[in-house]
Amino acid sequence: MCVDVERIDDFERELRAAMHRLPAPPSLKRGLMARRRQERTERHGRLVWFERLAASLVLAGVAGGALVWRNAEEHRKGEEAKQQVFAALRITHHALEEMKAQLDERDTK
Amino acid sequence: MASSWQPDFEQLVDEHQSMVFSLAYRMTGDRGLAEEVAQDVFLELDRNLRKIESPLHANHWLRRVAMSRSADALRRRRVRSMDMWVEIEEQHGAIFEERLSPLGSRVETLLATLPEAQRAALVLRYQEDLTPEEIATTLDAPLATVKSHLQRGLKLLRAKAATHLKEYVRGR
Repeated sequence: MCVDVERIDDFERELRAAMHRLPAPPSLKRGLMARRRQERTERHGRLVWFERLAASLVLAGVAGGALVWRNAEEHRKGEEAKQQVFAALRITHHALEEMKAQLDERDTK
Repeated sequence: MASSWQPDFEQLVDEHQSMVFSLAYRMTGDRGLAEEVAQDVFLELDRNLRKIESPLHANHWLRRVAMSRSADALRRRRVRSMDMWVEIEEQHGAIFEERLSPLGSRVETLLATLPEAQRAALVLRYQEDLTPEEIATTLDAPLATVKSHLQRGLKLLRAKAATHLKEYVRGR
Protein backbone atom coordinates (compact mmCIF):
# COMPACT_ATOMS: atom_id res chain seq x y z
CA MET A 1 0.00 0.00 0.00
CA CYS A 2 2.83 2.35 0.88
CA VAL A 3 4.46 1.53 -2.42
CA ASP A 4 1.24 2.52 -4.24
CA VAL A 5 1.05 5.85 -2.44
CA GLU A 6 4.70 6.50 -3.23
CA ARG A 7 4.07 5.64 -6.87
CA ILE A 8 1.12 8.02 -7.00
CA ASP A 9 3.23 10.77 -5.52
CA ASP A 10 6.01 10.06 -8.01
CA PHE A 11 3.54 10.06 -10.86
CA GLU A 12 1.97 13.36 -9.82
CA ARG A 13 5.39 14.87 -9.23
CA GLU A 14 6.47 13.77 -12.68
CA LEU A 15 3.24 15.15 -14.10
CA ARG A 16 3.85 18.50 -12.43
CA ALA A 17 7.44 18.56 -13.69
CA ALA A 18 6.32 17.67 -17.21
CA MET A 19 3.74 20.40 -17.22
CA HIS A 20 5.80 23.46 -16.43
CA ARG A 21 5.00 26.57 -18.46
CA LEU A 22 6.55 26.58 -21.90
CA PRO A 23 8.33 29.63 -23.27
CA ALA A 24 6.14 31.42 -25.79
CA PRO A 25 7.60 31.57 -29.30
CA PRO A 26 8.94 35.05 -30.22
CA SER A 27 6.57 35.08 -33.19
CA LEU A 28 3.64 35.20 -30.74
CA LYS A 29 4.35 38.71 -29.48
CA ARG A 30 5.55 39.90 -32.87
CA GLY A 31 2.37 38.67 -34.56
CA LEU A 32 0.23 39.94 -31.71
CA MET A 33 1.60 43.47 -31.91
CA ALA A 34 1.16 43.47 -35.70
CA ARG A 35 -2.45 42.29 -35.36
CA ARG A 36 -3.03 44.89 -32.63
CA ARG A 37 -1.71 47.67 -34.88
CA GLN A 38 -3.89 46.44 -37.74
CA GLU A 39 -6.94 46.20 -35.48
CA ARG A 40 -6.35 49.74 -34.18
CA THR A 41 -5.91 51.06 -37.72
CA GLU A 42 -9.16 49.37 -38.77
CA ARG A 43 -10.90 50.65 -35.65
CA HIS A 44 -9.58 54.16 -36.38
CA GLY A 45 -10.71 53.79 -40.01
CA ARG A 46 -14.17 52.75 -38.85
CA LEU A 47 -14.24 55.72 -36.46
CA VAL A 48 -13.28 58.14 -39.23
CA TRP A 49 -15.90 56.59 -41.51
CA PHE A 50 -18.50 56.92 -38.74
CA GLU A 51 -17.50 60.54 -38.12
CA ARG A 52 -17.82 61.31 -41.83
CA LEU A 53 -21.19 59.60 -41.94
CA ALA A 54 -22.36 61.56 -38.88
CA ALA A 55 -21.08 64.83 -40.39
CA SER A 56 -22.84 64.02 -43.68
CA LEU A 57 -26.08 63.27 -41.84
CA VAL A 58 -25.83 66.55 -39.92
CA LEU A 59 -25.13 68.48 -43.16
CA ALA A 60 -28.01 66.73 -44.92
CA GLY A 61 -30.25 67.56 -41.96
CA VAL A 62 -29.21 71.20 -41.97
CA ALA A 63 -29.64 71.48 -45.77
CA GLY A 64 -33.01 69.72 -45.62
CA GLY A 65 -34.12 71.93 -42.74
CA ALA A 66 -33.07 75.05 -44.65
CA LEU A 67 -34.99 73.87 -47.71
CA VAL A 68 -38.11 73.18 -45.66
CA TRP A 69 -37.77 76.55 -43.91
CA ARG A 70 -37.37 78.36 -47.26
CA ASN A 71 -40.44 76.62 -48.71
CA ALA A 72 -42.45 77.46 -45.60
CA GLU A 73 -41.27 81.05 -45.74
CA GLU A 74 -42.19 81.38 -49.45
CA HIS A 75 -45.57 79.83 -48.72
CA ARG A 76 -46.09 82.28 -45.84
CA LYS A 77 -45.08 85.26 -48.02
CA GLY A 78 -47.38 84.04 -50.81
CA GLU A 79 -50.26 83.75 -48.35
CA GLU A 80 -49.49 87.23 -47.05
CA ALA A 81 -49.47 88.66 -50.61
CA LYS A 82 -52.72 86.85 -51.37
CA GLN A 83 -54.35 88.30 -48.27
CA GLN A 84 -53.13 91.78 -49.30
CA VAL A 85 -54.62 91.35 -52.79
CA PHE A 86 -57.90 90.15 -51.23
CA ALA A 87 -57.89 93.16 -48.91
CA ALA A 88 -57.26 95.50 -51.88
CA LEU A 89 -60.06 93.82 -53.82
CA ARG A 90 -62.40 94.13 -50.84
CA ILE A 91 -61.57 97.86 -50.54
CA THR A 92 -62.05 98.36 -54.30
CA HIS A 93 -65.30 96.41 -54.20
CA HIS A 94 -66.49 98.54 -51.27
CA ALA A 95 -65.53 101.79 -53.11
CA LEU A 96 -67.30 100.67 -56.27
CA GLU A 97 -70.38 99.69 -54.26
CA GLU A 98 -70.40 103.20 -52.71
CA MET A 99 -69.98 104.86 -56.10
CA LYS A 100 -72.79 102.71 -57.55
CA ALA A 101 -75.01 103.63 -54.62
CA GLN A 102 -74.30 107.37 -55.17
CA LEU A 103 -75.00 107.03 -58.91
CA ASP A 104 -78.24 105.15 -58.25
CA GLU A 105 -79.28 107.86 -55.77
CA ARG A 106 -78.55 110.64 -58.34
CA ASP A 107 -80.46 108.79 -61.05
CA THR A 108 -83.58 108.51 -58.85
CA LYS A 109 -83.48 112.27 -58.21
CA MET B 1 -10.72 53.47 -2.59
CA ALA B 2 -9.94 53.68 -6.28
CA SER B 3 -7.13 51.43 -7.57
CA SER B 4 -4.03 53.29 -8.76
CA TRP B 5 -2.85 50.35 -10.90
CA GLN B 6 -2.54 51.26 -14.56
CA PRO B 7 -2.39 48.21 -16.84
CA ASP B 8 0.36 48.28 -19.44
CA PHE B 9 -0.53 46.03 -22.36
CA GLU B 10 2.98 45.13 -23.46
CA GLN B 11 4.05 44.43 -19.91
CA LEU B 12 1.05 42.14 -19.42
CA VAL B 13 1.95 40.31 -22.64
CA ASP B 14 5.55 39.85 -21.49
CA GLU B 15 4.45 38.60 -18.09
CA HIS B 16 1.70 36.23 -19.16
CA GLN B 17 2.44 35.05 -22.70
CA SER B 18 4.12 31.89 -21.45
CA MET B 19 1.12 30.97 -19.27
CA VAL B 20 -1.46 31.73 -21.97
CA PHE B 21 0.51 29.95 -24.70
CA SER B 22 1.12 26.87 -22.53
CA LEU B 23 -2.55 26.57 -21.60
CA ALA B 24 -3.63 26.95 -25.22
CA TYR B 25 -0.97 24.53 -26.42
CA ARG B 26 -1.83 21.83 -23.89
CA MET B 27 -5.53 22.21 -24.60
CA THR B 28 -5.33 22.25 -28.41
CA GLY B 29 -2.19 20.19 -28.95
CA ASP B 30 -1.30 22.38 -31.91
CA ARG B 31 1.52 24.90 -31.70
CA GLY B 32 0.23 27.14 -34.51
CA LEU B 33 -3.33 27.09 -33.22
CA ALA B 34 -2.11 27.76 -29.67
CA GLU B 35 -0.21 30.81 -30.89
CA GLU B 36 -3.31 32.08 -32.69
CA VAL B 37 -5.49 31.44 -29.62
CA ALA B 38 -2.98 33.24 -27.38
CA GLN B 39 -2.97 36.24 -29.74
CA ASP B 40 -6.79 36.27 -29.75
CA VAL B 41 -6.79 36.20 -25.93
CA PHE B 42 -4.39 39.16 -25.70
CA LEU B 43 -6.31 41.14 -28.33
CA GLU B 44 -9.46 40.56 -26.27
CA LEU B 45 -7.52 41.76 -23.23
CA ASP B 46 -6.54 44.89 -25.16
CA ARG B 47 -10.20 45.61 -25.90
CA ASN B 48 -11.13 45.06 -22.23
CA LEU B 49 -8.09 46.67 -20.64
CA ARG B 50 -10.14 49.34 -18.86
CA LYS B 51 -12.05 46.65 -16.97
CA ILE B 52 -8.89 45.07 -15.52
CA GLU B 53 -8.47 46.24 -11.93
CA SER B 54 -5.28 44.60 -10.67
CA PRO B 55 -2.41 42.29 -11.69
CA LEU B 56 -4.21 39.40 -9.95
CA HIS B 57 -7.38 40.19 -11.87
CA ALA B 58 -5.39 40.25 -15.13
CA ASN B 59 -3.87 36.85 -14.31
CA HIS B 60 -7.25 35.30 -13.49
CA TRP B 61 -8.92 36.95 -16.51
CA LEU B 62 -6.23 35.70 -18.92
CA ARG B 63 -6.34 32.17 -17.52
CA ARG B 64 -10.14 32.00 -17.79
CA VAL B 65 -10.30 33.46 -21.31
CA ALA B 66 -7.37 31.29 -22.49
CA MET B 67 -9.23 28.13 -21.38
CA SER B 68 -12.48 29.33 -22.92
CA ARG B 69 -10.92 30.32 -26.28
CA SER B 70 -8.93 27.08 -26.40
CA ALA B 71 -12.18 25.12 -25.94
CA ASP B 72 -13.76 27.18 -28.75
CA ALA B 73 -10.78 26.48 -31.01
CA LEU B 74 -10.97 22.77 -30.20
CA ARG B 75 -14.66 22.72 -31.06
CA ARG B 76 -13.91 24.34 -34.42
CA ARG B 77 -11.16 21.84 -35.09
CA ARG B 78 -13.11 18.77 -33.93
CA VAL B 79 -13.96 17.76 -37.48
CA ARG B 80 -10.26 17.23 -38.02
CA SER B 81 -9.76 15.35 -34.75
CA MET B 82 -8.39 12.17 -36.29
CA ASP B 83 -5.64 14.07 -38.07
CA MET B 84 -5.04 16.27 -35.07
CA TRP B 85 -4.11 13.49 -32.69
CA VAL B 86 -1.54 12.23 -35.15
CA GLU B 87 -0.11 15.78 -35.27
CA ILE B 88 -0.15 15.98 -31.49
CA GLU B 89 1.79 12.76 -31.17
CA GLU B 90 4.43 14.08 -33.55
CA GLN B 91 4.59 17.63 -32.23
CA HIS B 92 4.61 16.77 -28.55
CA GLY B 93 7.30 14.22 -29.13
CA ALA B 94 9.48 16.64 -31.07
CA ILE B 95 9.15 19.56 -28.67
CA PHE B 96 9.23 17.87 -25.33
CA GLU B 97 12.04 15.47 -26.05
CA GLU B 98 14.28 18.52 -26.15
CA ARG B 99 13.31 19.84 -22.74
CA LEU B 100 11.88 16.99 -20.71
CA SER B 101 12.84 13.57 -19.53
CA PRO B 102 11.55 10.76 -21.77
CA LEU B 103 8.83 10.09 -19.21
CA GLY B 104 7.88 13.78 -19.14
CA SER B 105 7.39 13.94 -22.89
CA ARG B 106 5.35 10.72 -22.90
CA VAL B 107 3.14 11.87 -20.04
CA GLU B 108 2.51 15.03 -22.03
CA THR B 109 1.56 12.97 -25.08
CA LEU B 110 -0.79 10.80 -23.03
CA LEU B 111 -2.36 13.88 -21.49
CA ALA B 112 -3.34 15.05 -24.97
CA THR B 113 -5.44 11.89 -25.45
CA LEU B 114 -7.67 12.58 -22.40
CA PRO B 115 -11.20 13.96 -22.76
CA GLU B 116 -11.22 17.75 -22.97
CA ALA B 117 -12.84 18.43 -19.59
CA GLN B 118 -10.42 16.14 -17.74
CA ARG B 119 -7.46 17.58 -19.61
CA ALA B 120 -8.56 21.12 -18.71
CA ALA B 121 -8.81 20.25 -15.02
CA LEU B 122 -5.43 18.48 -15.01
CA VAL B 123 -3.68 21.27 -16.92
CA LEU B 124 -4.92 23.87 -14.46
CA ARG B 125 -4.04 21.61 -11.53
CA TYR B 126 -0.53 20.63 -12.57
CA GLN B 127 0.62 23.48 -14.82
CA GLU B 128 -0.97 26.37 -12.93
CA ASP B 129 -0.95 24.69 -9.52
CA LEU B 130 -4.56 25.73 -8.84
CA THR B 131 -6.77 24.25 -6.14
CA PRO B 132 -9.99 22.47 -7.21
CA GLU B 133 -11.94 25.53 -5.99
CA GLU B 134 -9.86 27.86 -8.18
CA ILE B 135 -10.23 25.49 -11.14
CA ALA B 136 -14.02 25.48 -10.64
CA THR B 137 -14.02 29.30 -10.69
CA THR B 138 -11.77 29.45 -13.76
CA LEU B 139 -13.82 26.93 -15.74
CA ASP B 140 -17.11 28.21 -14.35
CA ALA B 141 -18.00 24.63 -13.35
CA PRO B 142 -19.36 23.06 -10.14
CA LEU B 143 -16.68 22.04 -7.65
CA ALA B 144 -17.91 18.43 -7.52
CA THR B 145 -17.61 18.17 -11.31
CA VAL B 146 -14.07 19.53 -11.24
CA LYS B 147 -13.06 17.09 -8.48
CA SER B 148 -14.57 14.25 -10.49
CA HIS B 149 -12.69 15.34 -13.65
CA LEU B 150 -9.46 15.54 -11.67
CA GLN B 151 -9.89 12.08 -10.16
CA ARG B 152 -11.01 10.41 -13.37
CA GLY B 153 -8.41 12.22 -15.46
CA LEU B 154 -5.60 11.23 -13.14
CA LYS B 155 -6.83 7.65 -12.99
CA LEU B 156 -7.11 7.43 -16.77
CA LEU B 157 -3.72 9.02 -17.23
CA ARG B 158 -2.17 6.62 -14.75
CA ALA B 159 -3.78 3.67 -16.52
CA LYS B 160 -2.48 4.88 -19.88
CA ALA B 161 0.94 5.44 -18.36
CA ALA B 162 0.95 1.90 -16.94
CA THR B 163 0.22 0.55 -20.42
CA HIS B 164 2.46 2.80 -22.47
CA LEU B 165 5.26 3.51 -20.01
CA LYS B 166 5.93 0.02 -18.69
CA GLU B 167 9.64 0.54 -18.54
CA TYR B 168 9.13 3.53 -16.24
CA VAL B 169 6.75 1.67 -13.93
CA ARG B 170 9.05 -1.33 -13.78
CA GLY B 171 12.03 0.93 -13.30
CA ARG B 172 10.50 2.35 -10.13
